[in-house]
Amino acid sequence: MESKNSLVGAALVVGGGIGGMQAALDLAESGYHVYLVEKSPAIGGAMAQLDKTFPTLDCSMCILSPKLIECGRHPNIELLSCSELVEVNGEPGDFKAKVLKHPRYVDVARCTGCAECAEVCPVELPNEFEQDLASRKAIFRPFAQAFPNAFAIEKRERPPCTLTCPAGINIQGYVALIAKRKYREALSLIREWVPIPGVLGRICPAPCEEKCNRKLLEEPVAIRVLKRFAADMVEDELSPPEIEEKEERVAIIGSGPAGLTCAHYLRREGYQVTVFEALPVVGGMLYVGIPEYRLPKNVVEKEIESIKRLGIEIKTNTPIGTEIGIKDLLEQGYEAVFISVGAHRSQRLGVPGENAERVIHGVDFLRDINLGKEVKTKGKVVIIGGGDVAIDSARSVLRLGADEVVVLYRRTRVEMPAREEEVKAAEEEGVKIEYLVAPVEILCENGKVTGVKCTRMQLGEPDVTGRKRPIPIPGSEFDLKVDMVIPAIGQTPDLSFVENSGINISSRGTIQVDPMTLETGCEGVFSGGDCQTGPSIAVEAVAAGARAAESIIRYINHQDLKEGRTVERKLSGVSFIPFGMARESRQKMPTIPVEERKVSFKEIELGFPEDMAIREASRCLACGICSECMQCVAACKANAIDHNMREEIVQLNVGSVVLCPGFDEFDPGPLFNYGYRRYSNVVTSIEFERMLSASGPYQGELKRPSDGRPPQRIAWIQCVGSRDESLNRGYCSSVCCTYAVKQAIIAKEHVPLELEETIFFMDIRTQGKDFDKFYRRGEEEGIEFMRARVYRIEESDGTGSLLLKYVGEDDKPSTREFDLVVLSVGLQPSSTAIELAKKLGIQLNKYGFCHTNTFSPVETSRPGIFAAGAFQGPKDIPETVMQASGAAGSVSALLAPARNTLIKKKQYPPERDVSGEEPRIGVFICHCGINIGGVVNVPDVTDYAKTLPGVVYAEDNLYTCSQDTQERIKAMAKEHGLNRVVVASCTPRTHEPLFQETIREAGLNKYLFEFANIRDQCSWVHMHEPEKATEKAKDLLGMAVAKVRLKKPLKPLSLPVNHSALVIGGGIAGMVSALNLAEQGFEVHLIERSSELGGMARKIHHTIDNGDVQTFLGDLIKKVKEHTKVRVYYNTWIVDAYGYVGHFTTEIMRYRGRVVEKIEHGATIIATGAQEYKPNGEYLYGRDPRVLTQLELEDEIARESPDIINCDNVVMIQCVGSRNGQRPYCSRVCCNQAIKNALKLKEIRPEMNIYILYRDMRTYGFYEEHYREARQQGVVFLRYEPEDKPRVSQERKSGQLLIRVESKDPVLGEKVAIDADILALSVPMVPPEEARELAMLYKVPLNEDGFFLEAHVKLRPVDFATDGIFVCGLAHAPKSIEESITQAKAAASRATTILAKDTVTAEGIVASVNENICSGCGICEALCPYGAITIDRDKNVAKVNEALCKGCGTCCAACPSGAAQQRSFTSEQISAMLDAILEV
Amino acid sequence: MTVALNELDSKFKYDVAEEPGGENIKLCFACGLCTASCPVADIDPEYNPRKIIHMVLLGMREAVLSSNFPWLCTQCYTCQAHCPQNVNFSDVMKALRSMAVKEGYVHPSFADQIKEIDTFSQKLRHQMVLSIVARKSEELKADVEKLAKEALEKARKEV
Repeated sequence: MESKNSLVGAALVVGGGIGGMQAALDLAESGYHVYLVEKSPAIGGAMAQLDKTFPTLDCSMCILSPKLIECGRHPNIELLSCSELVEVNGEPGDFKAKVLKHPRYVDVARCTGCAECAEVCPVELPNEFEQDLASRKAIFRPFAQAFPNAFAIEKRERPPCTLTCPAGINIQGYVALIAKRKYREALSLIREWVPIPGVLGRICPAPCEEKCNRKLLEEPVAIRVLKRFAADMVEDELSPPEIEEKEERVAIIGSGPAGLTCAHYLRREGYQVTVFEALPVVGGMLYVGIPEYRLPKNVVEKEIESIKRLGIEIKTNTPIGTEIGIKDLLEQGYEAVFISVGAHRSQRLGVPGENAERVIHGVDFLRDINLGKEVKTKGKVVIIGGGDVAIDSARSVLRLGADEVVVLYRRTRVEMPAREEEVKAAEEEGVKIEYLVAPVEILCENGKVTGVKCTRMQLGEPDVTGRKRPIPIPGSEFDLKVDMVIPAIGQTPDLSFVENSGINISSRGTIQVDPMTLETGCEGVFSGGDCQTGPSIAVEAVAAGARAAESIIRYINHQDLKEGRTVERKLSGVSFIPFGMARESRQKMPTIPVEERKVSFKEIELGFPEDMAIREASRCLACGICSECMQCVAACKANAIDHNMREEIVQLNVGSVVLCPGFDEFDPGPLFNYGYRRYSNVVTSIEFERMLSASGPYQGELKRPSDGRPPQRIAWIQCVGSRDESLNRGYCSSVCCTYAVKQAIIAKEHVPLELEETIFFMDIRTQGKDFDKFYRRGEEEGIEFMRARVYRIEESDGTGSLLLKYVGEDDKPSTREFDLVVLSVGLQPSSTAIELAKKLGIQLNKYGFCHTNTFSPVETSRPGIFAAGAFQGPKDIPETVMQASGAAGSVSALLAPARNTLIKKKQYPPERDVSGEEPRIGVFICHCGINIGGVVNVPDVTDYAKTLPGVVYAEDNLYTCSQDTQERIKAMAKEHGLNRVVVASCTPRTHEPLFQETIREAGLNKYLFEFANIRDQCSWVHMHEPEKATEKAKDLLGMAVAKVRLKKPLKPLSLPVNHSALVIGGGIAGMVSALNLAEQGFEVHLIERSSELGGMARKIHHTIDNGDVQTFLGDLIKKVKEHTKVRVYYNTWIVDAYGYVGHFTTEIMRYRGRVVEKIEHGATIIATGAQEYKPNGEYLYGRDPRVLTQLELEDEIARESPDIINCDNVVMIQCVGSRNGQRPYCSRVCCNQAIKNALKLKEIRPEMNIYILYRDMRTYGFYEEHYREARQQGVVFLRYEPEDKPRVSQERKSGQLLIRVESKDPVLGEKVAIDADILALSVPMVPPEEARELAMLYKVPLNEDGFFLEAHVKLRPVDFATDGIFVCGLAHAPKSIEESITQAKAAASRATTILAKDTVTAEGIVASVNENICSGCGICEALCPYGAITIDRDKNVAKVNEALCKGCGTCCAACPSGAAQQRSFTSEQISAMLDAILEV
Repeated sequence: MTVALNELDSKFKYDVAEEPGGENIKLCFACGLCTASCPVADIDPEYNPRKIIHMVLLGMREAVLSSNFPWLCTQCYTCQAHCPQNVNFSDVMKALRSMAVKEGYVHPSFADQIKEIDTFSQKLRHQMVLSIVARKSEELKADVEKLAKEALEKARKEV
């Protein structure tokens, strides 16, 4: 045993499903700090998706959501949502756990769950909670009742478009906004990265589109045109940002895209910017380098205008270098200089004749026409070069009236640098292109061009640029007769002005800079754009301008220029296509016709009309999921959203770990013959749950996905992904049969018409407690159960109806039509859980579920790490809850010495005595953003509140539940001396505990609070009637105020706890419970009726997987006997019991009445077991010694009785005495018991013939493997119908008395007869007689079958409705040893939540009896479900035991005289509320 | 009629399991998927793979091996492709054929005859389909018998 010092009093629970929540709650209530790690944004797990739960048909969410709140608000449960456990190091008791917290991008503490962010989010995604039957936004809350009630943003890596864009524009963001018709928002988002969207939307070669994932499907999204669309759609000017003026001045040389961008971003930060421009116009190459038909001047001018409007001075006709140099600028007080003069100098051909008249270089030519100079262009014009300038020149000269335009290019089309679509357009317009031709000389006469001497070329080896080098072909010269030559073979910057300034020039004639900061060799001087890179695309210049602005700001502020910046651009983003994405071709932008194009400089491209733009924008695949459009940030009034959150690693020190990561559903997609995903009316069971759910995608209206019509014929197909070796899913998923029955029952309630329902199954496995009755209920309600495995589903053409092919009872292939088919999909291990197990080094079974042992069912292979729920195997909710509590019990035993070392206890200020004070009521009314405020006139309601009697203060809040409002409520309580508080907001279900906590912190009794729900009951249901909603809100508020006036402080009883436990029953369950509690340090009284410990297990020799029961039992008995904390009472009967939680007294009688003792204890565990049913003469039992029960057979096998092990023919009959009218329950273990015995016999004598006659083989879960093994060993299984049960008779044959078993074999279609040497009967377990007595003594109920009835079959499977009493083992229901051990640990864990405390607090809202009126009639006593009311015979009045009272109000409703009153719900208070509403 | 199981040959299932292809016979849990998917069962109500397996498991050696069942199987493997317990029923049928030959229920040449029938019926089908494919887009009333006769004629000529 480790010393106390090395144990850590904290535990980590993985998984926030029902299992994880239960484990966390048990541990937290037992004195441990709990970290609950959940990978999704909210706790709740799969149970939250269910519509109803079987067999009681409770609403799943209704029973779950109080648990969510209890777990979420527990002071000792720390929830880490969006988190994963990645590593556990150290020793049991002292682990170091590493948890990866993914960014949620929403601050849980600030988010109020108002949902306004989701309203504005443009990204629609399939809603996985709704099984993709509905959509959700990228910012989302998994479901309405989620805890935490906060949103989360789903993001992936930035999309490839943005990662490719040199300027890093958030492309997905503006595309998404365009799709939602939010053009202004789109434009202002683009402006965050580029100030000239209209320009770039026309001329950018759009490298982003090259990387667009949509390209993998068909064509990229037309990103460029969408950008243009956004710019064009916003006619007026966006309102300029607020600028905070700064004094520092910056000079920018050159007003091209780089210079303008740099100026823009510097100015936005408040710097004083002057731009020096040598030309008479602003815009650089944008203005003088690009022809009007591609980029109209008014577009350039408009965007320059908006930049100028920020307050930038632009000096045109002001070249730097002639009068003022760079040094001068710095001396004149400019803090920094940005050089962005572009590359405007033409590269020369270097051939004779280049200086002749009518030879004009491309850049100069374009500049001249853009500046409006007259250029004569007649006759034949030759353009030399293959770049954009060459093509622009060719198309321009054509428009100016040239007769013939020929482009000469020295390489081939493949190497041509001009953009393909430009070249094509030029050709369409009539430009001719000659490839592999180069000029040798320009021929002239009288200084005027007459022709060009050319040579033909061929391609040689690649040169440094990677393009093939052109080589002249000797002797191929020829002359062209031309009237004008435009050489356009490249441009270089003119950098003569930087000489002697310390700026270095590269060998390529460009300015050298630091690539990260763009700083030149001269301090404070930066450079970017074409003059630094050589001729490039505009968006590169824009990117450089923005980068330089960042550098200059850092430079001015004396910050490190490099910190946190990179040069590299990550070009690859995620590459994927979402499953099932439909093809949709790219929208083609309209253009003006070629004829019109050739003769004018009118803009060719017309942009997208609105409908086209929206369709095109909708093609975006949202690769980053969240588009970062920032609409949510703008919408969130609570300032809860932070897109800059990063993932973080959290190191936790914990004593133990419980893994409850849950399961995945089997994906039936690969079962091609069922057509899932091809036929929309084939749905999975979990989809069907959502379809049934009132809060689901169809609001509870049952309809077919294909056409929305209500189905009239529904089929369920069982075992989809279960009991299927071909899919490596050999196990049974245990829960599907019962949930199919449940769904069929519920569906009937949804469809008013007659609904035909058929469940196709192999064996109906309703082996759980009371599940078989539920199955029979289904049969009675008319559900058809068809024993058949469906081979194929086909859609009946065009109707959406489905044809199922199967072999039914008649043994013939049949086909039947249904409107809807539900595939009952199995449970499989969750993929993330498998990964986690690998990381933690935990052993999994062959299917990937967590491996555990029969005798230690919640322990993983790694000490100190426990497992519970479907991670360990397919199971239903109560079994999950039991395992979770069981795991908590194991953790609690391991860490007991460290209990209470790390828990937080909340301290409250002393409670103010308000008695004798007049009511001073404070009212707080919530807008809930626009959730309430958008419908209800909240200020009006607030004014009204001020008029109500007793109200001394009223205010409205944006969010009354926000953290700052809690502080405000406390402050107002103090300032105004409030002694009552009313909140009018949402639902008390989630928020009442919060406000009660707040007023406790303000020193008020928490019962001096009242709630008015003006969201659900006003703004939601009367959304379209704001006036009436407002009136109703006033009414509800008036009622709340009327009631709170009369409210009184309540003091719930605080009861001291006796720290010892009483365990009744010394079988495995009782002993495991006792030992667990003893190991935790609690004193245990273990009561056993017989003279020996061991119970039923003494008759069991081994388990089905060959576990040695007797060895285990011997060890357990020894440990119990030796444990100093356990006192065993043998031969002991309980004669009386009374008391309440924390303080019970049980009177016992020992040695048949000789000694009577009293035991005081804080908690009670009932583990009284069960016994085997003995058939009374049935099937010759008791009349022929060769007819045995399975337990008797097991004993004979263990003793190797020769009569048994040497026989040839053994017959076993299942369901003898169970699943019948008398005992309508399934005894759960008998199928496994039969298989266990059969396998043992086969092991001893393989040639023995064994026949098992059964109704349904119920080898649930992994027991299915043993069923398979039995078949493999040659055990023969023969099914019988309950109406035609096997007949057994004694036959005399050749002098021997034989046992003849006859049965109808449905597969053979004949009667079969077997002469058996041994007949084994599988009989049920039945509760012992003493159960009834105990139930009376402890006032706890039994079910119809005589087993103890738990408080709630799903969520409180070991508790009773009466606090402090628990049940486990066979006393609860038939179950395996493994399940008994689990439940015993669970009961111990639940008992610990009481025993670990010094006091327990009872409910404050309890009944009280006015003794003056009470007549002692006793009606209340008879009705109280908790035994909390008794009639005092002396005074003849009813007395309430407040420790037992649960405040249900039954007695108050029943009391004929009104003597019984419910505190906080008195008649007076209720009347006041009614008066308030009737007066108004 | 009552079938007395003690009088049957309970070793039969083990013998089948010893034959190549028969290994998984005992794993059957009688779900009936084999029968539901079987094209022979669609046309012959007596032919029932699930029942045949069950007969093997019960030990009905003579009834199974002397029956027509093993030979009526077309070896299409549909049952085998869908069986959730990997019983491999098409292969079981092969095992039963071989046992029927070995144990003298049929003449050894019988298997070859079956093979020829299989090939011939394939040819027949092939020809029948080919004779209508030219009219794929027309609405036809299928006169299968006539098509079969023509196909048979053609096959004769080829021989």
